[in-house]
Amino acid sequence: MRGRCGRRLEREFGNLRPNLFVNRIARARISSIQLSNYKEIVSSHRGSIDSLQVDLTEGRYLLAGAADATVAVYDVQRATNYEGGGLIAKHKSVFVINKQHENGHKYAISSAIWYPIDTGLFVTGSYDHHVNVWDTNTTQVVQNFKMPGKVYKIAMSPQARAHMLIAAGTEDVQVRLCDIASGAFAHTLSGHRDGVMSLEWSTSSEWVLVTGGCDGAIRFWDIRRAGWFHILDQSHSQLGRRPSLLSRTTTNKKSSSAGQISNAKVRAPQRKVPNGNALKSYSTGRISSHVKTTKQRLHPGMLSNYNRATGHYGVVTGIKGTGDGMYLLSAGSDSRLKLWDIESGCNTLVNFETKRLQSTKAIQMAVSHDSTLAYIPCLTTVKELYTGGNDRQILVWSPSKYISDEMDEWRKGQNTAVDQDNWSD
Amino acid sequence: MGARGCRGYYKEFAALLVGHPLLNRAMGDVSDRIGRPTDNGQIGVIDPDCRLIGLHLYDGLFKVIPFDNKGQLKEAFNIRLEELQVLDIKFLYGCAKPTIVVLYQDNKDARHVKTYEVTLKDKDFVEGPWSQNNLDNGADLLIPVPPPLCGVLIIGEETIVYCSASAFKAIPITPSITRSYGRVDTDGSRYLLGDHNGLLHLLVITHEKEKVTGLKIELLGETSVASSISYLDNAVVFVGSSYGDSQLIKLNLHPDAKGSYVEVLEKYVNLGPIVDFCVVDLERQGQGQVVTCSGAYKDGSLRIVRNGIGINEQASVELQGIKGMWSLRSATDDTFDTFLVVSFISETRILAMNIEDELEETEIEGFYSNSQTLFCHDAIYDQIVQATSISVRLVSSTSRELRHEWFAPAGHSINVATANTTQVLLALGGGHLIYLEIGDGVLTEINHSQLEYDISCLDINPIGDDPNYSHLAVVGMWTDISVRIFSLPDLNLVTKEPLGGEIIPRSVLLCTFEGMSYLLCALGDGHHLNFVLNTSTGELTDRKKVSLGTQPITLRTFSSKNTTHVFAASDRPTVIYSSNKKLLYSNVNLKEVSLMCPFNSAAFPDSLAIAKEGELTIGTIDDIQKLHIRSIPLREHARRICHQEQTRTFAICSLRHNQSSAEDFEVHFIRLLDDQTFDFISTYQLDQFECGCSILSCSFSDDSNVYYCVGTAYVMPEENEPTKGRILVFAVEDGKLQLIAEKETKGAVYSLNAFNGKLLAAINQKIQLYKWMLRGDGSRELQSECGHHGHILALYVQTRGDFIVVGDLMKSISLLLYKHEEGAIEERARDYNANWMSAVEILDDEIYLGAENNFNLFTVRKNSEGATDEERGRLEVVGEYHLGEFVNRFRHGSLVMRLPDSDIGQIPTVIFGTVNGVIGVIASLPHDQCVFLEKLQMHLRKVIKGVGGFGHEQWRSFYNEKKTVDSKNFLDGDLIESFLDLGRNRMEEISKAMGIPVEELVKSVEELTRLH
Repeated sequence: MRGRCGRRLEREFGNLRPNLFVNRIARARISSIQLSNYKEIVSSHRGSIDSLQVDLTEGRYLLAGAADATVAVYDVQRATNYEGGGLIAKHKSVFVINKQHENGHKYAISSAIWYPIDTGLFVTGSYDHHVNVWDTNTTQVVQNFKMPGKVYKIAMSPQARAHMLIAAGTEDVQVRLCDIASGAFAHTLSGHRDGVMSLEWSTSSEWVLVTGGCDGAIRFWDIRRAGWFHILDQSHSQLGRRPSLLSRTTTNKKSSSAGQISNAKVRAPQRKVPNGNALKSYSTGRISSHVKTTKQRLHPGMLSNYNRATGHYGVVTGIKGTGDGMYLLSAGSDSRLKLWDIESGCNTLVNFETKRLQSTKAIQMAVSHDSTLAYIPCLTTVKELYTGGNDRQILVWSPSKYISDEMDEWRKGQNTAVDQDNWSD
Repeated sequence: MGARGCRGYYKEFAALLVGHPLLNRAMGDVSDRIGRPTDNGQIGVIDPDCRLIGLHLYDGLFKVIPFDNKGQLKEAFNIRLEELQVLDIKFLYGCAKPTIVVLYQDNKDARHVKTYEVTLKDKDFVEGPWSQNNLDNGADLLIPVPPPLCGVLIIGEETIVYCSASAFKAIPITPSITRSYGRVDTDGSRYLLGDHNGLLHLLVITHEKEKVTGLKIELLGETSVASSISYLDNAVVFVGSSYGDSQLIKLNLHPDAKGSYVEVLEKYVNLGPIVDFCVVDLERQGQGQVVTCSGAYKDGSLRIVRNGIGINEQASVELQGIKGMWSLRSATDDTFDTFLVVSFISETRILAMNIEDELEETEIEGFYSNSQTLFCHDAIYDQIVQATSISVRLVSSTSRELRHEWFAPAGHSINVATANTTQVLLALGGGHLIYLEIGDGVLTEINHSQLEYDISCLDINPIGDDPNYSHLAVVGMWTDISVRIFSLPDLNLVTKEPLGGEIIPRSVLLCTFEGMSYLLCALGDGHHLNFVLNTSTGELTDRKKVSLGTQPITLRTFSSKNTTHVFAASDRPTVIYSSNKKLLYSNVNLKEVSLMCPFNSAAFPDSLAIAKEGELTIGTIDDIQKLHIRSIPLREHARRICHQEQTRTFAICSLRHNQSSAEDFEVHFIRLLDDQTFDFISTYQLDQFECGCSILSCSFSDDSNVYYCVGTAYVMPEENEPTKGRILVFAVEDGKLQLIAEKETKGAVYSLNAFNGKLLAAINQKIQLYKWMLRGDGSRELQSECGHHGHILALYVQTRGDFIVVGDLMKSISLLLYKHEEGAIEERARDYNANWMSAVEILDDEIYLGAENNFNLFTVRKNSEGATDEERGRLEVVGEYHLGEFVNRFRHGSLVMRLPDSDIGQIPTVIFGTVNGVIGVIASLPHDQCVFLEKLQMHLRKVIKGVGGFGHEQWRSFYNEKKTVDSKNFLDGDLIESFLDLGRNRMEEISKAMGIPVEELVKSVEELTRLH
């Protein structure tokens, strides 16, 4: 009713809480995002760019890994030069490492990530079976881990205070944890039946790792314990509804059994509320208590069905947790996006209208900081860039200066957009 | 607590449970590592039967902390809450199990109410007894109703609903936003509701026994916009307001003439929210005053905050032309003063306290009352001495009869006289100085001396060991403009001190502060000199000169709280006092005082009699160094203020909410105010949808006039950010705002600065420099010269020389440089942290200060010596601190008078104003002092504990969504100054730990207190 004069005034006299002010502005900015017409990144790559990350400390340096085995760093805040009468900022790479480099990767770089604490180090994973740790300032390899197969995805935990582990998903069924501190494999996580194309550290605990395999399974690991403790089942979709006071005992039984059996797709309400009654969570402590109960049920001898539960039909190509640690978004070669409630392990059945997703390599996704929008690179026949959100908004990116088959450029545009979002949180 | 976001700590307030003072029985950290903090603020509720605490801190989670009847907290757990947009949660009364009622909004923006039972065993919710869908769209507040009625009231914008398992009653109300409520009766049948317009309503639940039959609402009257309402007793209500002054009100049984039942008993000043302020020196005497834009909505006001001593007036009489004033006792050893002698140009009147404690005119027979009294004083042997121009009389204070009279030699008249209890010193025309001594019933001429010039003032206030006898006399001279010290009784010249200049001394005074003897000397032009006096040799040292006013000053001692102070009466009355053996000056909040004398009567103990223009006032004096706040109600919301010295005006940007029509709309104005009376003298109304964003008083190169520049924005409801605005240039002509030029801009003009004789504007994401051009037809216009892009929104801009410091909406601080040769603005350096700014200021050439959205302060340093471009292009964060307040504005300046002679005067200070109405001072301390105080602060942290065990270090650490780091290079002055409040033991404890004597610590902390 009030405050036509704008949010800033409302904040000035204390009517609008500062954090709400930030959220509203960030939301308005994200929802009005479009391909930037004043900022361009000059690509130094000749292959598809498969990995992008803005550094976590200042949000200033963009690390890009590409299929032509090049890795480059761009300063996204300070332009190298201006064009178009000073209106278009051009960002050229700060440095590029390519095959000619003495330690350069031989094949495509599938994943390039920053060391989470500062920008002094970055890590690359490549199809040439190697994971390299680089010193940013000298652009020299300081550590090298030889993997048993193509490296699809590597991850480091930004939460971690007690370890410096790189989790690496490769063609091999085992996930390897490479310790930067010692330069050796800390240990391996066994459980997947096929290679691991996507993995991510939990945002709520430094010990919890989530992996998505080519076997379609999404598994949770506590690296302090042996084996995985949780697996997501796409058919497990019914969230426990609260029984009413009177019919509590009866409905309880009914709902739980129904949840187990029912086919998710059939039962899924088509126009389900985005973010709606789906969302809940407990603290990490609760996750571990969950572990206990699961373990009891899963006696080593009777793994059968539960162990084979899948998150997707086909390969899990990408996973991404929301910033609040409550949800996990996964993408599969079945061209579906699924949103999971982490605590209960339920498929929330939010229907994302995605087009064809790439299935041969890992994809990278991004989620806005308030978890209302997600960015997913898609392939469509019309060659436009789509992003789908968990509120089922599909944003179509039709760049005005459209250059036909440089898909990478869109990806980058999309990711610069995401990095603007990163500034805001 | 709430300010800290999810880092919140909970405290169990035993006071709520058992009714004794705040007792912190248990505490702990309730923050979680997952979850998104709620948008609508944190909610904390306690079960009415004291079984558990409920907290809603993150979307989708309800945290439960059970506790037992001993107040021991048990392990907390989270319950998922399906409702995401929770507006309010309350516990219901009268339920067997703890039951919450949740008001929430769904995705279609409809609002519903639901109840849940908390089952502690399962650590989960069970659906509660009832729910209610599709409520008023503005429903925002739940009021749980206590037994016997139980249930809940849901307060909407257009309806009020009573809801329980068995009943549902609703009444329509006039559209308003209810902000607070207060329960009147313990049975919960009557409630006070305060809305956003400050209207107070009474809501009554009518019921038959325990069955609710309906609701009734009645308008009681108007108060400040209430943030909280507490019904105390006997129809007395406390209305707490964050938008205006808090009030203590009485609800009368019968309405007054205007139909209001509300009677305001008392007001408690609240400066918040301080949206903007300026530091001015209206009286031009070196002491800053802060003029704030305070309050919101109808409670909007300007507040003038000044450091000074207040006089609490107790009685006053109209009396014209007072020339002198003295208080007398009725016996020498009386503790109280009885008579007040008031002298006029041709008569002397005596006032005394009568039996009814009223001041009435009386007579002392022995006094000569048909002439002006030059001086009078109590003397020993129950006598009074009165000096007139012809004689000195000695009068008995008991019988009031004349006992002796000494006449001036023929042909001479007494010009100046002074006395103490045993001595009289007279100055006669022609430079004659005569010294008398008082005996029992006799005045004896002891000595006589002739000086070369006439005498302007005298003093023989005893400052030696004997409180009745002075060995020194001070004389101020005409012609050679000097003060001389003579020894008594022999009238030998001891010291001669030429004052320099052409202004004669008008008042001299000998006095002792904290065991140090001083000679104070006031000149005819309002200057004041002080010397340290060596009482044995009569030597004068440490000469210091300060300006106190512009009119002649009369000095007089008085005592308050057993300490002697000196009152300097003039056009700027000042109290001179000593602290740590340093003389300090503090303003008295009175316009002009011609004379002052202490009047310590039984009815008015420790009072002062003050002669002002046409008036004699008796009042007590405040403590030294207190803020004085004056309020100018505007009844509209002032957003920006600026002062123009040359035209002696203020200009403000303000807005008024217009409720008269059906639609609620805002009108924005530029108003011109007189800087003395604060009356509106001219108004310029802005266009529809246009609002004032910035205001500046400046002048341009090649133009001697001064202008007010106003930056505006057209805020369209459908736009995220304004895309159009204006810069308006006004001149003040004959007290009117005259629009001289206007320039359209492509966005909101968030900031305006005078910059090298040009105008620097921050317009959305751009910094733009305008030249002031003379057109062919003689008119003036703003012409764009150059600009700089690359900000998200450039909200706050400060300049120094050619440097421009920009505070961005979300990209912290950047430093730009204007290059004269190229006529271009370039970015020099930037802080790459993602701080959402709320204010910036330049502390000095190198250091810039910023305040950000999470209530933190930080400083960054320009790294001009950096080896690489990369290093030079980075503003290095040097200081970080959690203030806990949302800062809206920084301004250079000080509230205390800056004495050029003190070290403190050299320390630069910045004043800030916050949403909560806090005015604070940030001082840039020299490095040594900083290191020393940091050490002291570290030791104080160990001794002074926070409420609930919340550590100071933790509280002050810089905290936002991305990081938490210990505060650095900022000191908490409040904590350090609390050293002075510690007991001697604890002071010694700290002194021991630091290895520095207590006295030295006290001295340096006290020095610090003088900064504000």
